[in-house]
Amino acid sequence: MIAFEHVGKRYGGRYDALANIDFRVRRGEMVFLTGHSGAGKSSLLRLIMRLERPSRGRVRVAGHDIDRLHHSQVPFYRRQIGVVFQDHQLLFDRSIYHNVALPLEIQGIERREAARRVRAALDKVGLLHREAALPIELSGGEQQRVGIARAVVNKPALLLADEPTGNLDPQLSADIMGLFEDFNRIGTTVMVASHDLALIARLRHRTLRLSEGRLVADEEIA
Amino acid sequence: MSRPEPPPRGARTQRSSGALRWRAWARHHRAMAADSARRLLRRPLGSLLTMLAIAIALVLPAGLWLTLDSARLLDAQLEQSATLTTYLEEDVGEAEAGRIEQALAAQAGVAATRLITAAEGMAEFQQALGLEDALARLETNPLPASVVVHPADADPAAVRRLAEALAAVPGVDEVRLDLAWLERLRHLAALGQRVTLALGVLFALGVLLVVGNTIRLAVESRRQEIEVVTLIGATHAFVRRPFLYSGAWFGLGGGLLAWGLLSLGSDWLAAPISALAASYGASFALPRLGAEGSTILLGCSTLLGWLGAWLAVNRHLAEIRPR
Repeated sequence: MIAFEHVGKRYGGRYDALANIDFRVRRGEMVFLTGHSGAGKSSLLRLIMRLERPSRGRVRVAGHDIDRLHHSQVPFYRRQIGVVFQDHQLLFDRSIYHNVALPLEIQGIERREAARRVRAALDKVGLLHREAALPIELSGGEQQRVGIARAVVNKPALLLADEPTGNLDPQLSADIMGLFEDFNRIGTTVMVASHDLALIARLRHRTLRLSEGRLVADEEIA
Repeated sequence: MSRPEPPPRGARTQRSSGALRWRAWARHHRAMAADSARRLLRRPLGSLLTMLAIAIALVLPAGLWLTLDSARLLDAQLEQSATLTTYLEEDVGEAEAGRIEQALAAQAGVAATRLITAAEGMAEFQQALGLEDALARLETNPLPASVVVHPADADPAAVRRLAEALAAVPGVDEVRLDLAWLERLRHLAALGQRVTLALGVLFALGVLLVVGNTIRLAVESRRQEIEVVTLIGATHAFVRRPFLYSGAWFGLGGGLLAWGLLSLGSDWLAAPISALAASYGASFALPRLGAEGSTILLGCSTLLGWLGAWLAVNRHLAEIRPR
């Protein structure tokens, strides 16, 4: 599903954010990406989302060299990826329902079909009863769940999360990770960047560890 | 290169037919048109000020254009009244005057002729000057017979050539034409047209700047939203759409205000202008924007608003890159 082939990313001509990254993630896998802040986790995710392009090497997602996508094709590529952000990136001027419906609106999904999918996604994260609320009325954990609902409403084949539990207490963090495991169980490829090592150790999934832009460990846990 | 193959689980969204896609597209247009109108109405004073700035920029060139348009109408009337007066030699009798008139009428470029005999000329002269008593005391009629010639082509150069040809006809003493004022009027009109065009271009640029600046602020205030929708796969067209509608609404609003200002202005000027015209014995009224003129004004202002928004959005979208 994801293949990094000797990928390097250099900023400003001299600073290597990533160097010689080489790994593969199979379809339907769940993978953690760990490392200290500044180790290159976010840069790696940005490469997959094609917010950045590699300075060297190749990034292939779903069999395609995404560096060769024409810029007009990038939006359509991104629609196949669900992304969860640490600061959830909700829009505070509209309701929970409309936040979750945003990807469907962008794709021009018919309204009744969109409503069905939005409610299904909200139901999955346990927030169906709050669909009319504004994001500001929700707690941090609930906001993050809305962010997850928005990421999966489109039934993406690949779900990326960048520090999704960064601001949450341990119990809420475990709940959020449980949601990612649920989506992985129904076939979604999931990649979660996190530095919550204790939580990651408990969950027992394959873990890629980055340090100073290099892939220092790839631990497959059976 | 082909678009990436949709992965199996995302396939359903890719399968919607062309008709569905088009409906969705049209629906988004309607939604964005309504949404951007609501955003304008939410800040009524700010929106009104922007529209007023646009209106003021449009009123001056549009008003000048209207004035020139009426001058053109006047010019057309004047062209029709452009005539040559051909004075015949003094000793030409009435019968011979008739023959000369026919000779003149046969010249190329002559549309119509009218013979004024010496007696008719005297009668007109007396009437016009109110000197009946004084002239009646004259023993002989000092006026020659004349032929008024209407040229087929009122172009000054053509009229001048015709005058030379007519002067060569035997029995013609003198050909009078006064073209200088007509030419001056034309030069003035041409000057006016250029000034209007230059002002129009300048003020159109002004409208672009006004709209562009307003839209720039709108883009800035919705920066986070733009970043988010770009991250989740919005195309540039999708991101641009609400701003383009805002620009078009600003343009349309400004155009309507300009239309109102122009109507008020011509109402306000109508009385003194018709009084002035009446004092010259003419009837002249400022023409109003008809259906066609109104459509052009509103169309241009809407287009300018749209274009200003397009320039501003494109310029600023390039700067907004998701973090």
